[in-house]
This record gives sequence, C-alpha cells and structure tokens, in this order.
Amino acid sequence: MTITRRGLVQASAGLAAASSLAAPALAQSEPIKIGWLAALTGPSSAPAVGFNRGVVYAAEALNAAGGVKGRKVEIITRDTQGDPTKAVNATQEMISQLKVHAIWGPTNSGESLAVTAIMARGKMPNIHPCVVDSLIDTTRYPNAFRIAPSNAQWDDAVRGYTLNIAKAKKVAVFGDTTGYGVSAANASAAALAKDGAEVVVKANIDATQPDMTPDMLRARNAGAQAIVIWSVSTGMIARLLNTRATMGWDVPFIGHPSLASGEIGTLIDKPANWEKVYAIGYKSCSYDAAGKLPPRNEELLAKLQGKVNLQDTLLWWVACGIDAVNLVAKAVETGGSSSSESIIKTWNALKDYPGYFGDYSYTPTDHNGFPVSDIVMSAASTGKNGTFALAPGYG
Amino acid sequence: MLASILASGLAVGAVYALIGITYNTMYSTSRVMSFTAGQLGMLGGVFGSLFMLRLGLPWPVALVLTLTACALLGVVTEFVAVRPVLKSLDQHLYVLSTLAVALLIQNLTALQWSTEPQPFPRLLEMGSGIWDEKYWLPVGACVVTIVGLEYLYRHTLVGRAFVAIAEDNFAARALGLPERNLRIASYALAGAVGALAGFAGGQLLLAFFANGPLLNFYGFIPVALGGLGNNRGAVIGGILLGLFQQAANFTVGGIFSSVAVFTLFIIVLLLRPQGMFGAPVARRV
Repeated sequence: MTITRRGLVQASAGLAAASSLAAPALAQSEPIKIGWLAALTGPSSAPAVGFNRGVVYAAEALNAAGGVKGRKVEIITRDTQGDPTKAVNATQEMISQLKVHAIWGPTNSGESLAVTAIMARGKMPNIHPCVVDSLIDTTRYPNAFRIAPSNAQWDDAVRGYTLNIAKAKKVAVFGDTTGYGVSAANASAAALAKDGAEVVVKANIDATQPDMTPDMLRARNAGAQAIVIWSVSTGMIARLLNTRATMGWDVPFIGHPSLASGEIGTLIDKPANWEKVYAIGYKSCSYDAAGKLPPRNEELLAKLQGKVNLQDTLLWWVACGIDAVNLVAKAVETGGSSSSESIIKTWNALKDYPGYFGDYSYTPTDHNGFPVSDIVMSAASTGKNGTFALAPGYG
Repeated sequence: MLASILASGLAVGAVYALIGITYNTMYSTSRVMSFTAGQLGMLGGVFGSLFMLRLGLPWPVALVLTLTACALLGVVTEFVAVRPVLKSLDQHLYVLSTLAVALLIQNLTALQWSTEPQPFPRLLEMGSGIWDEKYWLPVGACVVTIVGLEYLYRHTLVGRAFVAIAEDNFAARALGLPERNLRIASYALAGAVGALAGFAGGQLLLAFFANGPLLNFYGFIPVALGGLGNNRGAVIGGILLGLFQQAANFTVGGIFSSVAVFTLFIIVLLLRPQGMFGAPVARRV
C-alpha cells in the first residue's frame, strides 16, 4: 500500500479528532485525586492524626458506595511534619507532578501561611482548618476555603461567653509569648474593651516560667472576674490552674481549646483544679445534660464504632476530616467536573451544607464557611470519646 | 501576697543558684563555661519523672539514679566537648562544643521523652500554700548543696585538690595532683548538682525538654552577678534574681519582667564587671 501525503494528513486529522473526543471520557473515569497535606508526625501532629482518621474513613465510605458518579476517590497523603518547608515541597509536587484535583490542608497555620499563595498561583481548590484570619482572603486567594472557625470567630465566642453568660465585667487576658499568643491576646483584649469590659490585666507569659503566682496575684488584686487564656502551652495552663487552687480562688478560666487538652489532666495537682474551666468547643461535638450529641453526630458515632478510634483524639478533628473529603466529592458531583474552576464555583455557591462538624456556607466574597453560632464553650474536664459537655449557661 | 512572692522567688532563685553552682563547678577545674548546665537541670526533672512515674520507683531510689545518670553525662561532656578544646581555651571553641552537646541532649530528650511537659510527682506530700514542698524543696536542696560543697572544699583532701586545681592548675600539676582525674570528678559532681536542681524543682518546672535553655540563661546570670567561680556569690545572685524576677512578674508582668531582669543584669555588670562578689583580676603588664 502506498502512503500518500493526502492519506497521511487525513489519518492524522482523524487521530487528533479521536483523541480530543477521548480526553473528556478519560477525565470522567479517572479517580478524584485529593492531596492531603498532613502533619502526621512531629510536635504538632495530634490534630492531623485525628483528621486523618476521618479522611480515611470518608474515602473508604465513598468508594464502597460506588464513588462519585462512578469515579473513585484517591487520597494522596504527604507527611509535612508541621514543617513549612516540607509543606511547600509537597504542595508543589501535588500541583505540578501528581496533578491532584483539590488539596485538603495543611492543618496548622504556620504551614498554611507558606503554601496558600502557591496554591493560589496554581488555582488549586484548597480547603483547610487553620485559624489565622489572614489565610482567608477572597481577592488574593479565591481558591482557599476554611472549614473550621477563624481565630476571630473563636474570639467572638469566648468574648460572648465571658460577658453574657459568665457575666464578667473585669477580665484578665493571658497569652503565651509566641507570635500566636501575643496577637491573640492583643486582639482579644481590644475586642473585650470595645464591648464594654474592663481588661484589668493583659500579660504574655513565658510558657516555661516556673511559677505563675505573681501573674495570678496581679489578676486577683486587680479584681478579675474571669481569666481569658490564649495559649497552646499545656504546661503553662496547668501551672495557672494549680496556682489558682493554691490561692483558693475560684475565678473561671475561659479560652483556647488547649484548656481541654488531655495533657492538662496529667499536669494538675488534683482533678478539682480543672473545674470552672471552659474551652472553645463545638455544638456538633458537645453532649447535653443527658449525655447525647446532636442526632447527626450520634449517628456518626454509631457508624465509627469499631472502625475509628476516638479514645485518644477529638471527635471534631475526625468529623472535620470526613467533611473535607465529602466537600470535594460534593463539588465534583454537583458541578459535574473535577476541574479546579468547577470545584471552586460549586463551593462558592454552597449554602448550609450539612457536615458532621458544622453546616457550611460559602459565597464568592466569604470563604469562612463555619457558622459562629456553632462555636460554644465546653466544660474542659469532661472529655469523653473526643466530645465534651456543654459549659453551664447554654439552655 | 508578699509571702507568696517571697516563697515563689526563693524557690525559683534556689533553682537558678544551683544551676549557677553547676556552671562554677565545671569552670573551676577546666576554665570552661559549659552550656550543658541548664540541660543537666532539665534532665533532673525528666529522669525524676521517668523513674518515679513511668517506672514506679520510690523517690529516694529515683533521686540516686537521676544524680548518677546526670553525673555520667557530666563525665561524657568532659570527654566529648571539653577535653578536645582545652588546648585552645583562648579561642573559646568550648562555646561551640558544649552548645552542640547541649542541643544534642535537648533534641534527644524531645524525641525520646516528649515535646509536651510531663508531670513530676509530689515527693513528700508535705505543706500547703506558701509552705508547699514545691517551694521549700529547691531551697533545701540549695542549702544542702552549698553546705556539702563547703565541707568538701574545706575539710576533705579531694576537695582541697579541687581548690588547688582551680587556684593554679600548673602549680597543682607540678605538685603531682591528678589534674585530669580531678577534672572528670568535677564534671561528675556538676552533673549531680545540676540534676539535683531539676529534681528538687521538678514540681515547679515539670519534666519538660524546653526547660534546658531557660535554665541555661537564668542559671548563667547568678554566675555573672556573683563572680565567676564563686559559689557563695552564685547562691546570693540566684536568690536575688529569683526574687527580683517574681517581683517584676507581679508588678509589670510577662515579657516586661524579662526586660526588667536583663536591664538590671546589664546595669550591675556595667557597675561591677567582675560581678558583685568577684575580685578584679590583676594582669601583669
């Protein structure tokens, strides 16, 4: 057979047409690849370990149910160890080599500050639980969506409880000396003062300071009726609680979720020292006087029974991990495509999506999807299966 | 209120003083400021918690094991970080070598122990309020140490040999004193003193890997204030530092108290560069 120039051109054109028709078909059958930037090891690994249990559970549940429109969900995990440099490398790998469809994480703000701009340049749909307010900016980072509260939302909840439920008018605000501790304490004190409270003491305490007696004496002498805490240092918090007990003072402590960390229980002199301590918690993961969670999460607990260990983690971490994967799946299902434009467009139109951690709503101008009303204070010493009792004062 | 600040200041000051003595003990026989002093204090708390809470040993046994372990670490420091650089003391290479060992200890502790503070048990279950054992145990440990060292240096042959080496290394060697062995012994002794600081102050400091740098900094101040090599000066400097620091925490609080401490430190050194109790060194010209 003689190969003519015309025949060659016609065959090439036919091949090109066939391959262009096949491309969408291939795209519609390939797995939905979700990059998961997880600090699974290292000093700040506890949240990511909990999130990861939810991520694995959600992916298995989706795939067992046939996937999303026939497409399997594939989780591609990279352990960033809480190191921003490793998070940057993993992000670049996910965008340029692994070609993931969306990225979940990182799970701490230091890493997120390092990678958010990179993801924005790559137009990569990103969903994360980091609290630093500046990480969500729909102009600079139209691709980034927050699934958990921002620090400002935490602050609103703490201030609301302090002023309206604990009825404290004179407040002491303590942070640690980290960048987070300083900025959070400053913001909290300013907002409290703006809402009419008198901030009688504001101090940033070195987390390794051996004895907290002077700081607590200052607060008591100044007439503090509540102490607001912004620190992740369990050692510092435990010392403050032990000092409060030594002084025979029953001032309430209100603030950061670390107040409810299990580590505190091992560091306090006696269990009673952990009473009247209220940590930021969530309605969805708080049990009522009858010991019951909201119905949706009672159901989730039953599903997780025997599959996911909740003894050494928090339910909201697991629930948030499940929701993150489900939100990507939902976007692909609703938008009919796993392209970044389609996922971002679908998320931007999301209204009251019923997740296990919260009901999420996003708009093109607001990517803080977690409702402030779902943030509540928990009684810090009541941890049970990763859930907590509501603090007193909620009807 | 004043009593609370006094109790707290004395306790913290006693821990700083003991770390100052640790610095001095190592310095006296080697002329090296070993920055492992704070880490030895940190390990006193960590080993104490390990032996008592994780292994369930009674506190006297745990104390002996903790002091022994840190004494051994002191000896290792002498071999690894001090001996190799003694020939070039004027180049201050010991700053690097002892800091490297200190970082090694700290990171190993973080990896093997925990990056979160761990509990340290009550030892005697005695006292409450300002008389709680967590306040007076460090003070008691400091008193025992200073009395013990005074006895050692004044009334025993080994102690006098230590003093001889510290006074004039070359003359002591010329007299036939085993300078190398005495130096090793002084590093072991320093290890035990540092460990005692961490053990006695464990209820205040907790068993936490990050205590090392804190003790290194605040333990160095009594040495500089009291005069290099002067244990009595270190004790007075340490107690004053503790009291001033806690008073500053009460009056100005938090970050500003550190500023106040270091401002005072600089002022004292400007006025008396040799420390409050140190004698100016005469230099032959």
